[in-house]
Amino acid sequence: MLSRGPRPKQDRRTRFLWCFLAGAIVVPQPLVHAATDASFNQHVQPLLAARCSSCHSAEKKTSGFSIADLESVVSGGNKHGRAVREGQPALSPLVRMIKGEIVPRMPLGGQLSASEISVIEQWIAELSPEQTSSFKAERWLWPFQKPVKHELPRVRSSSWVRNPIDAFVLSKLEEKGISPAPPASNRTLARRVYFDLIGMPPSPEELEAFLEDSSPDAFEKLVNKLLDDPRYGERWARHWLDLVRYGESDGLEGDILLGNAWRYRDWVIDALNSDMPYDRFVTLQLAGGDEHGSKAWYQPDVQGYIPAGFLRLAPWDLGNLASNELRQSYLDEVTTATGSIFLGLSIGCARCHDHKYDPIPTKDYYRLQAFFNAVRIPLPLNTSGISPEEIEVPYKNKVFGKIAEAKVKEYRERLDNGPEKQALDRLEQALLEKLIAAKVAEGSKEALTAGDVRLELSRKNQKVFTLAEKEKHQELTEAFDYTQEPKDKQALDDLEVELTKKLAAAYVQGSEDPLARFQAITVTAVRAEVRGVDRPSKYFSKEEKEQHRKLTEQMEVLRRRLSRWRPLALTVTTVPGPPLGPGVQATHVLKGGDHQQPGEPVEPGFPSAITGNLLPAALEVDRFRQFPTRGRRMTLAKWIASPDNPLTARVMANRIWQHHFGKGIVATPSDFGTNGERPTHPELLDWLAVRFCEENWSIKAMHRLMLTSNTYRQSAENPATAMAADPENRLLWRFDRRRLEAEAIRDSLLCFSGRMNSERGGPSVFPPLPDGMDDLTRASRPGGSMWEPNENDEDARRRSIYIFQRRSLPLPMMASFDAPVFNESCERRSITTTPLQALSMLNGSLVNEEAVFLAARVRKEVGPEKSAQISRLFDIVLNRPPDVEELRRFSQFAGSLDAICRVLLNSNELFYLD
Amino acid sequence: MREAEQHPWLSRRNFLIESHLGLGALALFDLLAADSLASAPGSESLPLAPRPQQLQAKAKRCIFLFMEGGVSQMDTFEYRPALQRYAGQQMPAFSGTAGPVATLGAARNRVIPSPFRFARHGQSGRWLSELFPHLATTVDDLAFLHGIMVDSSNHAPAVYHTLTGHMIPGSASIGSWITYGLGTENQNLPGFVVLGQGVPAVGGTGIWSNGFLPAAHQGTLFRSGSAPIVDLNQRPGMSLKDQRTELDLLQWLNERHATKRMNASELEARMASYEVAFRMQTEAPELISFAKETDATRKLYGLDDPATEVFGRQCLLARRMVERGVRFVKVLHGAVKPWDQHGDLAGRLPVLCKEVDRPVTGLLKDLKSRGLLDETLVVWASEMGRTPFDSNVVSDKPGRDHNQYGLVMWMAGGEIRPGSTFGQTDDFSLRSAETPIPIRDVHATLLRLMGLDQNQLTFLHAGRYKKLTDTGGRVISEILT
Repeated sequence: MLSRGPRPKQDRRTRFLWCFLAGAIVVPQPLVHAATDASFNQHVQPLLAARCSSCHSAEKKTSGFSIADLESVVSGGNKHGRAVREGQPALSPLVRMIKGEIVPRMPLGGQLSASEISVIEQWIAELSPEQTSSFKAERWLWPFQKPVKHELPRVRSSSWVRNPIDAFVLSKLEEKGISPAPPASNRTLARRVYFDLIGMPPSPEELEAFLEDSSPDAFEKLVNKLLDDPRYGERWARHWLDLVRYGESDGLEGDILLGNAWRYRDWVIDALNSDMPYDRFVTLQLAGGDEHGSKAWYQPDVQGYIPAGFLRLAPWDLGNLASNELRQSYLDEVTTATGSIFLGLSIGCARCHDHKYDPIPTKDYYRLQAFFNAVRIPLPLNTSGISPEEIEVPYKNKVFGKIAEAKVKEYRERLDNGPEKQALDRLEQALLEKLIAAKVAEGSKEALTAGDVRLELSRKNQKVFTLAEKEKHQELTEAFDYTQEPKDKQALDDLEVELTKKLAAAYVQGSEDPLARFQAITVTAVRAEVRGVDRPSKYFSKEEKEQHRKLTEQMEVLRRRLSRWRPLALTVTTVPGPPLGPGVQATHVLKGGDHQQPGEPVEPGFPSAITGNLLPAALEVDRFRQFPTRGRRMTLAKWIASPDNPLTARVMANRIWQHHFGKGIVATPSDFGTNGERPTHPELLDWLAVRFCEENWSIKAMHRLMLTSNTYRQSAENPATAMAADPENRLLWRFDRRRLEAEAIRDSLLCFSGRMNSERGGPSVFPPLPDGMDDLTRASRPGGSMWEPNENDEDARRRSIYIFQRRSLPLPMMASFDAPVFNESCERRSITTTPLQALSMLNGSLVNEEAVFLAARVRKEVGPEKSAQISRLFDIVLNRPPDVEELRRFSQFAGSLDAICRVLLNSNELFYLD
Repeated sequence: MREAEQHPWLSRRNFLIESHLGLGALALFDLLAADSLASAPGSESLPLAPRPQQLQAKAKRCIFLFMEGGVSQMDTFEYRPALQRYAGQQMPAFSGTAGPVATLGAARNRVIPSPFRFARHGQSGRWLSELFPHLATTVDDLAFLHGIMVDSSNHAPAVYHTLTGHMIPGSASIGSWITYGLGTENQNLPGFVVLGQGVPAVGGTGIWSNGFLPAAHQGTLFRSGSAPIVDLNQRPGMSLKDQRTELDLLQWLNERHATKRMNASELEARMASYEVAFRMQTEAPELISFAKETDATRKLYGLDDPATEVFGRQCLLARRMVERGVRFVKVLHGAVKPWDQHGDLAGRLPVLCKEVDRPVTGLLKDLKSRGLLDETLVVWASEMGRTPFDSNVVSDKPGRDHNQYGLVMWMAGGEIRPGSTFGQTDDFSLRSAETPIPIRDVHATLLRLMGLDQNQLTFLHAGRYKKLTDTGGRVISEILT
């Protein structure tokens, strides 16, 4: 969010209110009775009473919404919160629901007439915040209060309760008279949990082994086995990378490479696989390299620089903007991202004005930002992906280190004198000779220019100009290069005019060979001449230029690979304090978010909605106060990664839940605030959050708990349907069927064909673009080609998490299946269905190529008999045998086995997980 | 339908079976579209089903012409004779500068008057430079906006600001917002098409990205050649007939799968999407073929001249698309900032103008003669304007620098008031003299012309109801009828 236009006026009254509220949070204010409102009572209330009271009377209060009075209407229901936004009908959930913009359209099964809707709209448009100000004590405060471990609710069917999760879920269901779905079959369950934890289905053999295990804890054993599988980290790291806006190029002009972002990606995978406690996981990302440590000279642990890459992943470049503006845009991004990722709060909304819905004043936004104000960003990369300020962080894994070392050596040698270098040298030499010959042939036909003077001057034994002239020319050239001032340009121009005359005279007199200077032309001139593939050249053919471009690009790719394999980190550091540097700049509240309008200075501090005060935070300092600039980020990290923080554990527990159950208990996982959705099971989420901390922030413990619940083991089908009472399955009366993500689709296909390259970690890879696409991406650009060849062909078939994430060119197949654009934090992917997806599955290389290999695999495994082949295919792709009807229909199908493979690889049963 | 009403999750399965997929899928899309689920903006199972306009408007479709690099306004659409007086001199001091105007070597700051002649044209008496002789003949159909501001004088942020409403990548582009709001009329073609000459160096695919909106709203890049859409053509050795046979088996399997499952509408939508994709394979080649276009039409777009042929093809294709109900067509001129003339203005600009002048004029005239101009909004845009002074100190062929305050755009069609003008820059064409037009006002106006209300077209993302116009823009009623 980086808009810089005029801002809406700040609402002083609201700001005052927040300050008031900030202190009152722990003890919610008693409800003040609603003020009467003539327009509401005369026009709106009767209308609502007539159309809505069958469900939303004060007694029934379906979904927590009642139309009894002004206050209850404005306050809204459980799901969408405050139903009325004063003065803003279009944004009010009440209006959006009666218009069908939020489903289900209300009233259920009918609809209000246009004139009825406009009565309500007009009332809201005229409603002022003063009229409802007394309701604001009912603000949504749950997120700011520390979770407590609620007692388990009592349930009637206690036999259904396998663990505490079930008690919370079942009690809500029983309240509504809904029965949970029967358990899913073991086959379905196994497939579900495989996709869930490792992102691909079980092989027929793995499935068989599980089905044959009749021990009572067979499923628990399976869950443990999968949590120990390194593919678990590769699967779940993807969820985290979505959140942290992971990308490998800066997304702006030229889409310059960011640096070794892949080391952050590998760090996340390893952290998850080793079940790093979540508090440490958070701390390292916010404060890696910012700790004091106890080592001599207080050197921070360099390994911390890798997770701190979190602070450097967003799209950002040096551009040509003023430094303050750039720095401010960086700080804004990091503050916003930290708020939404770790705290589940849309703190970024308070940048220009007090948060309109949550108790976050602008001052709190800048107090939070102040924690990041000691961040120092090492100079970004140049177009080849090389930074002048390199930070080396040795590879922890020694085996990997050896491989990387060998690669570095290889690429150094190739760049020095490998075949690519030799070919380029040869070509440039040939072009140089051609250029010189052409110039000589042209001879002195053209009038002499300053360029000829420079050329003559560059000759070793030139006799035309005196040493004084030569030195004067050099001096003026340097002066102008440095100042770029018109007067210096003029001086240089004047001298060159003079020298040009002298040169012409020398040629005429015959004191110098008028062709000799051309021998001084260097390859620099060749390179200037070939630049721009589409620019016509007088001296070189299109083919020569194209050949030069190709060879230069090959060298460029080698340079990129070299820098990728070197142990460099993409990270931030801390500014040095006195006496090594000036210390940390003061942070100011910026009026309207504008860096040119600094207001009141602020100290680093935590959000007042949580602490209840606006005091500065006590910053971590080293024992001898030697490094006054260090410790800011660590202070913030420790406060966030604490069991006392009301949000951190809840937010993460909710994210884990979201990926197992399809949606979070809070369905807006990065917004627990007023504008977010209300939790469906707040007590359960609180209980989970407390348990998460008690289990030493073990993410795997959370997985175990959720996956082994009966809630998770429900079937996706429930014969005792509760479609009418709860169409969106918010209360979890069945398992939510879900479409596989782009990565799971691609990885599964590679897994079926047996062609997955399961190598782990390392620099990212480049699966080929669709046919014809590479031409489009080749436009001459500073960073060379946008997409690169792989180091070896098998790299194209690595797991999807290893695909290079170029911000301006996501892989089309992945993008069409809703893989996010990696510019902003993505907490929840959309799931769309489009004909373009179908095209990529029907005609794209992935399905078509892997189908051939899958067919070959099946032939090899079960021989030529068609029904055996079909059965095996069903087992591999769908984890079940075909039924009689299917076997018959597929056997009669005239197409090849490849065709049958394509059909199964396109099937809904594969794409939708039960 | 009675059964479906009682049990909304049972949806339309019977219909599907009876109509035998191949024939019924399109109707199925329509039918599902009528469903309340699909008619809400942001419906994910049928994201592109056509939806009614929020406000009444004539324009149903939009062609958005984008000249990448920053078109020099005082050499094209903005007549500034005052520049002559200061030719070669330093810029006189100007007030009200909030930040640096230019990005490169503004030190020299020597005013360069336009090397091109201007004359009045049409009944509106509109000044145009000699670089647009064709456009001059239809200038009365246009409405001009002068002195539009973006918030950055760098290409990438300015491009994003103009095309997505925000300066950093990650937001939805204009076309995405429009298909999000209106869906599209022809389900056999993408709703938001990009006709380009490559993936642009600045912004990349980000300038037709769906951003935070569902992926179905991303622009589809049409390429030149026989496979305009990625993966449109069958693989070598695969015939349409064979593919149909495979598809029949697939749909038979999917049908059995869906029958056993509750809440199958998403499953059915995916089945239908395959039928649409199948049809697209025959429909798209017909779309890109100019076989049925007359010689007169080809000539109108300049297909007979190598200089105008490339952009002419893009413009003609754009017309064929809107004719077939594609909602939003973005036509890009160039992929490597061709309009970014820091040097050789006098030499380069005429070449570029020539490339686009005839095709764009042909497009306007063709739309008009086919009665499509009323229903089609045509927009000419670039990411910024240029400075009245030189930016390039090393060249003897001067060019101009970036000017984030001087963008000129024009529109035609829909409820545009033909021949109107709004906004005015100072005598130097440097910044707005009267009412500045922030780019969000242009966005608000564009949405209004398409029958969308900027405040009702929202998407909840990261705790905010996101809008194209962010903090809200003003509909520029001065150029509307």
